[in-house]
Amino acid sequence: MTTMQAERLVDDYLSRLEEAAAHLQRSRRTELIAEIREHIEAALREEDAAGEVAVRNVLERLGPPEEIVEAAEPAPEAEQRPTGKLEVAAMITLVVPFIGWLFGIAMVLISKAWSNREKTIGTALALLAVVPFLILAIVDSYTESTSTTFETIFFVLWVIGGLPSAVYLGLRLRRDD
Amino acid sequence: MLALLRGGPRYGFELVRELSDVDGLVTSEGTIYPLLTRLRKEQLVTTFWRESESGPPRRYYELTDAGREALDDFAKEWARFRDSVDTVLTKEEG
Repeated sequence: MTTMQAERLVDDYLSRLEEAAAHLQRSRRTELIAEIREHIEAALREEDAAGEVAVRNVLERLGPPEEIVEAAEPAPEAEQRPTGKLEVAAMITLVVPFIGWLFGIAMVLISKAWSNREKTIGTALALLAVVPFLILAIVDSYTESTSTTFETIFFVLWVIGGLPSAVYLGLRLRRDD
Repeated sequence: MLALLRGGPRYGFELVRELSDVDGLVTSEGTIYPLLTRLRKEQLVTTFWRESESGPPRRYYELTDAGREALDDFAKEWARFRDSVDTVLTKEEG
């Protein structure tokens, strides 16, 4: 009965809703989507029509998904992502070789300004400097190698090892401002 | 919203349509569902499922005792408020 076009409209609407509700608790999100889905189905049954026009009217009356989610719980964006001194300190610290990298990682993990995903990537980038640096340092102390390539890598890591992480995290902060 | 449930349980679509027909302020029917969720959290409303003659089972919303009480309180409060406003308005006229 439902045309493909109408079905796609409903699917689009529900996926927009799901996206907008990303910050809701999982149980609340699932429930909200279920309620809206039931509403759409009931409305279409009531009007005994499932064509594109009927669907568009039902969705129109429901209102934009973003508005529905806003009524459930406003997006916590502004409150949850303060860019404060801690974040600036973390990025500066991350550039300071070794000890700074470790402290920087700790500060990033404490901060609430980055999402868990961003923290993971930022930490991984910092560890990309920490781990090879440690290995090189250990190898160096055992072998007394004087190879220039070796020294160069060591030096480069020392100087810019923390940069990728600091730059990445800085960019992520800025994007959300 | 609670008043619409006084007559007995309603299912989501029915309740939402009625509310948006009564109340010209509702521009997005979808925003009523979060409100229902809040009422349920405050335990003024409960939900249950019931078979429907046409189509799948429906989620019904029903007033709890606390909900009925809240509604009565509000009705009294509202009556008092209306009376005070009426008193002031009639004085103005007179």
